[in-house]
Amino acid sequence: MPEDNRSPIIHIRDLHKCYWVGSMPYPALNGIDLELQNGEFVVLAGRSGSGKSTLLNIVGGLESADRGEARVLGEDILKMGNSQRSGFRLANIGFVFQAYNLIRVLSARENVAYVCQLQGKSKQESLEIANHWLHEVEIGHLGYRRPDQLSGGQQQRVAVARALATEPKIILADEPTANLDSTTGRHLIELMQRLNQSLGTTFLISSHDPDVKQAASRLIKLSDGFIVNSWDEETKPPVSLAVTCPIRNRSFGERLRHFFKPRRRTDQQTKQRTSRHS
Amino acid sequence: MVSRLGILTYVALAVRNLIRNRRRTTITLLTMMFGIATLTLLSALNDGWLSQMKTNFILSFTGHLQIHAKGFEASQNLRDNIADPDAISRYMDTYPEIIGWTQRIRTSGLASVSGSSTGVQIMATDPEQETWVTSMDQNVKTGVWLRPGMNKDLLLGKTVAQNLGAKLSDRVILMTQRPSGEMISEVYYLRGIIETGAPQIDRTLALISLDGAQQWLQMQQAVTDIVIRADHHDQTDTLYRLFVQQLSEQVYEIMPWQELDPMVRQWLEFSDAYGLIILFVVILLVLTEILNTMLISLHERQKELGVMIAIGTQPHRIFLMLLFEAVLLIFVGAVLGYLIALLVVMLLADGGIDLTDYANAFEFFYMDPVIHPQLTRDSALKILLATLVAALLAGIYPAWKATRLSVSQALRIQ
Ligand SMILES: Nc1ncnc2c1ncn2[C@@H]1O[C@H](COP(=O)(O)OP(=O)(O)OP(=O)(O)O)[C@@H](O)[C@H]1O
Ligand SMILES: [Mg+2]
Repeated sequence: MPEDNRSPIIHIRDLHKCYWVGSMPYPALNGIDLELQNGEFVVLAGRSGSGKSTLLNIVGGLESADRGEARVLGEDILKMGNSQRSGFRLANIGFVFQAYNLIRVLSARENVAYVCQLQGKSKQESLEIANHWLHEVEIGHLGYRRPDQLSGGQQQRVAVARALATEPKIILADEPTANLDSTTGRHLIELMQRLNQSLGTTFLISSHDPDVKQAASRLIKLSDGFIVNSWDEETKPPVSLAVTCPIRNRSFGERLRHFFKPRRRTDQQTKQRTSRHS
Repeated sequence: MVSRLGILTYVALAVRNLIRNRRRTTITLLTMMFGIATLTLLSALNDGWLSQMKTNFILSFTGHLQIHAKGFEASQNLRDNIADPDAISRYMDTYPEIIGWTQRIRTSGLASVSGSSTGVQIMATDPEQETWVTSMDQNVKTGVWLRPGMNKDLLLGKTVAQNLGAKLSDRVILMTQRPSGEMISEVYYLRGIIETGAPQIDRTLALISLDGAQQWLQMQQAVTDIVIRADHHDQTDTLYRLFVQQLSEQVYEIMPWQELDPMVRQWLEFSDAYGLIILFVVILLVLTEILNTMLISLHERQKELGVMIAIGTQPHRIFLMLLFEAVLLIFVGAVLGYLIALLVVMLLADGGIDLTDYANAFEFFYMDPVIHPQLTRDSALKILLATLVAALLAGIYPAWKATRLSVSQALRIQ
């Protein structure tokens, strides 16, 4: 793909995501606009439930959206089929999750080598690559241990090594420090920062850890599915359920259920009604 | 992009996952082993018992195959006889499947001892030849077997003798009809009492020698039955086909043992059905156990499977990994279970299981009080096939479920 250095590596326009719990719609993302340039170290902050994980999952092709556009490395990730997304993730995106990232029956080294093998490299080559990256994250000497023989911080380092081992353009990390004490968390963030600078890999990290926020080259604030400039509630436009949660996007089964169930008002609708009346 | 992550990697992953949950794997394996061992043993007992029953049935009276003049089995009339049995007996040496054959005359009659009388099935046979076909000579409980040349010798079934109150050396008068219809009677001497264990025989049998009977009935060389014993039960069909080819069906009727006693055939068919029911129940149990294990394991591992898919594992590889796990469990369990059963069968093969204490219930219907379990190739194949089907069913569903996993939802599990 022809890649202009100045064209954004992640490009998101008017992104909406709605969850349905039975016949109750819940708008999780309400029109997100976001651009990331190559090499940025961006932190997504926001209260619990503000939609951070949802946004990361959509960017990583783990989840679909209800409306809008999400281009990653110039490709429309929302238009890809399941196996296409799977291949795309393998080639271009590294993931670090909050905890229990690793395959429990494989050693640290094998965990890292696993993704290289998925990419088609030989076992020998994969293990060598794994060694290299485990050294990069400073736990080269622990490669033979299984995840349950490693501390939480060490496990997260293995996860970072695994995310880097395929040499992806982007690393998505969903609250990577949430399960660590502050010192260990700070060290992990410093490590990621260093790798960002030395390798030029783009990082998109969700967190409510102040240390992480400080390390950001750019901080994006998420609140109730909106990107906001300050934490002030007033700056948000009203939610439009018709836009974010159109019935047509629901699966056939859900639509059937919706058809037969008596309609209940959602929290949002109730809120809107009461405010109109008062 | 073709991944080089071969099948072996997923077999290794499956094995490690099984080892990781050592206790659960062990319990599941034990259930599997127990199930398959029970299944195999029950089916070996059933097969052993059926085969003994067949043998007893064939040895007590019927033989594997009988040749009659056409219509005799239905009419039981001496006029439907084989006038020239030599035309048939010349085949007997040419087929190696035949280990014995004899000629008989069968007709109904009346036996009386000093005033009391009872209906009997008069059977005349060659004293020498008969011992190659049935074990009637070994079933003589008191007295002796028919002696060649002694044409006045008579043997009675145990119940017949009891009903008549006849003792050894008693004079017994037999009465019957010649083929011409003429009524005749003759004095015989009771030389032995036969107890076959089959009530319908013990209640009716009056046995005399063929030579004497042919003179008495004025039948020259004619007989009603030619009775053949095969080397093995399975050869009955082969012999049946050979004789059907050789002999005109206008003149002869050729009947395998199953046709000669429909009761026995029904009983055997019922036992086959019973074997199938056991097979079904055990497979169902095993299937449920494996399904349960795999579904619990799937549930526990949602998060890990979600991570595996998130970092680029294609769902079909997850499918393969889980399928391997189930198949491995079932395969190892089945092999171990089968080996256990094999061992038990081998230990029991000589002595058998002795049910003599409960033997009263077994006495009728050609059953032996000592059961020798038997592992046949047929039932081994049946069990193997059934476990294979069960393995695939129990493996495919959870594996398929895993491919439908919502990754984003799985990742939210902490
Ligand atoms: N599968 C789902 N079904 C229904 N609602 C969901 C589902 N997943 C998430 N949500 C809702 O969507 C909203 C956004 O969730 P999300 O996980 O993105 O929040 P978050 O910012 O990552 O929160 P946290 O900091 O606690 O991880 C939440 O209110 C959550 O309840
Ligand atoms: Mg989250």
